Amino acid sequence: MNAMTQDQGLRTLSYAEAIREAMAIAMEADPTVILMGEDIGVYGGAFQVTLDLVDRFGPDRVMDTPISELGGAGVAVGAALTGLKPIFEFQFSDFAMLAMEQIVNQAAKLRYMLGGEASVPVVFRLPSGSGTGAAAQHSQSIEAWFGHVPGLKVLQPSTPEDAKGMLLAALADSDPVMIFEHKLLYKMKGHVPEGSYLTPIGKALVRRTGTDVTIVAGSIMLHRALEAAETLAGDGISAEVIDLRSIRPIDHETILASVRRTGRLMVVYEGVKAFGVGAEISAMVAESDAFDFLDAPILRLGAADAPVPYNPDLERASVPQVETILAAARRLSRREI
Amino acid sequence: MPVEVILPKVDMDMTHGTLAVWHVAPGDEVAKGAPLFDIETDKAAMEVESPASGRLHFVTARPGDRIAVGTVVALIFAEGEDVVEVAAPATTLPEPVDAPRVAPPAAGARIAPAAPALASPEADGLLRATPAARAAARRAGVTLADVPGTGPQGRIQRDDVTGHFGGHVGVQTGPAPAAAGPTLWSAQPGPLHISHRKGRGVPLVLLHGLGTDSQSWAPLEKALGPDRPLIRIDLPGHGRSPRRRLRGFAELARMMVEAFDEATRAHDQVHLLGHSLGGALALAITDIRARKIASLSLIAPAGLGPEVDAAALTGIIRASRAESLAPWLRRLTATPEGISDDYARAAMKRRADPGLRAAQADMAEVLFPDGVQPFDLRPALSRLECPTALIWGRSDHILPYRHALAAGGDFAIHLLSGAGHIPQVEIPDRVARIVTRHLAGVSPGG
Repeated sequence: MNAMTQDQGLRTLSYAEAIREAMAIAMEADPTVILMGEDIGVYGGAFQVTLDLVDRFGPDRVMDTPISELGGAGVAVGAALTGLKPIFEFQFSDFAMLAMEQIVNQAAKLRYMLGGEASVPVVFRLPSGSGTGAAAQHSQSIEAWFGHVPGLKVLQPSTPEDAKGMLLAALADSDPVMIFEHKLLYKMKGHVPEGSYLTPIGKALVRRTGTDVTIVAGSIMLHRALEAAETLAGDGISAEVIDLRSIRPIDHETILASVRRTGRLMVVYEGVKAFGVGAEISAMVAESDAFDFLDAPILRLGAADAPVPYNPDLERASVPQVETILAAARRLSRREI
Repeated sequence: MPVEVILPKVDMDMTHGTLAVWHVAPGDEVAKGAPLFDIETDKAAMEVESPASGRLHFVTARPGDRIAVGTVVALIFAEGEDVVEVAAPATTLPEPVDAPRVAPPAAGARIAPAAPALASPEADGLLRATPAARAAARRAGVTLADVPGTGPQGRIQRDDVTGHFGGHVGVQTGPAPAAAGPTLWSAQPGPLHISHRKGRGVPLVLLHGLGTDSQSWAPLEKALGPDRPLIRIDLPGHGRSPRRRLRGFAELARMMVEAFDEATRAHDQVHLLGHSLGGALALAITDIRARKIASLSLIAPAGLGPEVDAAALTGIIRASRAESLAPWLRRLTATPEGISDDYARAAMKRRADPGLRAAQADMAEVLFPDGVQPFDLRPALSRLECPTALIWGRSDHILPYRHALAAGGDFAIHLLSGAGHIPQVEIPDRVARIVTRHLAGVSPGG
């Protein structure tokens, strides 16, 4: 998909394999780590991420839950309260709506409401995003919703290496963590280090340095932004591309430092444009000292203000693509905006 | 021409009045006869009606100001008329005296001339500038109202303030346009003049030098042959382009970039050729429109060193008779005897308008203060990536060819014997041969 992911001579895994490896490492090392979710056992999960884990760790630690997200998430939160470290998989992130009470009112708040006497070290895994022809109820990107909830951590790995490192970091965290995994990335291959390592939570990463415009993107949008940046370089436009990685907490300083250098900012995300990740980042920059360095309006590229269409052409058109990013960056860099 | 709004005499013995309130905000429309502002004298308060229909601009008096009768306090521009300052009302605002204070008009009451020719950043009564431009202006102590904006809707961006060209703050070094003193000419609205010659292939854009115009390309055009499409741009105040008040090279370069964009809109790429000041402008254009330039040819370009024979420039520009023009023209060439009296008379005919000469003289003074080239395009030259050829006469008395030898960057240098400052006029065939080969090497068939 990108040069960054094709390091020759290094061990490569798919994004899904990297997540599976992280779960296996954690389960080997820590008997309190358990997996829960619909069809994650023998079937291996809707996206085959948990494939074969039930054979290795048995049905007591790899539990199929009934088709009730509220019930399953509730059991996971309860298990976390009582000392286990559950990893709960939502078949589609869209179904997290059914479990909002447990995620937002219970998991996120109990440590605060119990004066720090309890914690909820649960990890929610959420296959997310459009591009699979699964229509409006199975294609959303709702990560920004959870960015609004104090008490949660919200992550968005864009590479196999980060998918593994973030899951291990989430398990090492004593509070609830939500990991949004892009369905189109599951098959992406990339270098993944052996053994256990933690990708720091709340740290963005400059994936490509540049001088003319800063593009902040996460998950699959990172790869589209990097592809656009490569083309832009041929136009003489030097784009700096930042992998957001973590939506909550958000890494202000990496973004601000870049904007101070480039004076131009674009935020690219797959969620609906309005009230999204782009709004938060734009406002954060506008409120900061980096404001003085802005030399053009801030641009947000997000999904259309509509449910994700089923028609594949419309689905594609409804979210930012490489050419959308390219066109916007050109206009921004050529003083047309 | 805009209609002047003056403070009227409403009392027999009135010498001053106090402006109480504006009824119309700057930039807003007003109909003839509608209330425009209120004034108060020692004896009375009175409403003043608008002398014309149009839009109110260049408001120079604030509520509470005490103003002499007859002072121009604003201009009214008819619908569709370009908002440029024609003859600046040289108003001095006396100290405000105690007077009924009315709510000041909204943000529009700034007193600032609009940037001639560019979309006015103040067209809507608000100054349009990016945060970076504002910060740069604060640091440099520059008044943003004096900076022409090149962004969308005339927005002032950082480069506009810092002076992209040559990297110096170049826009406010010259005299402010309104303070240019007694003058034989006034600024004119409208875009720079662009002329085209049709042909096949990638067009060649031609930028002439100071004190001449696009007609000066005729000998080279003939020598280049009829096939190549040509695009010529007249500098402001030259040829058929409108006259403009300039504050420095950066502002001139921005005007030329704007004209270049307009002239080359239909083409993906063009070849660019500039002579003398036009060479410096070609460098500036290439620096910011790099992708558009297939090749760059510079004939005795300005901007590569401080020295310039300003006496000759001024002599040519100010000469009012063929007899005084001829000696200076001869200084341009390696073979003075080639400039006949008839040639000088013909050249003088094209410079007969004293307004044109005065406008060009002011431009020369702003661009080459104290006989020096203050703008430095060597950094731009060293940054160039397109194939570049410098063509210079060995007997150039105006700009020395050693500027080319001393400059950094990757480019070809052609030093021509038997040529002075205008090789394209002196030895057009040889210059055409070099240019043709240079262009052919860049894009076969182009």
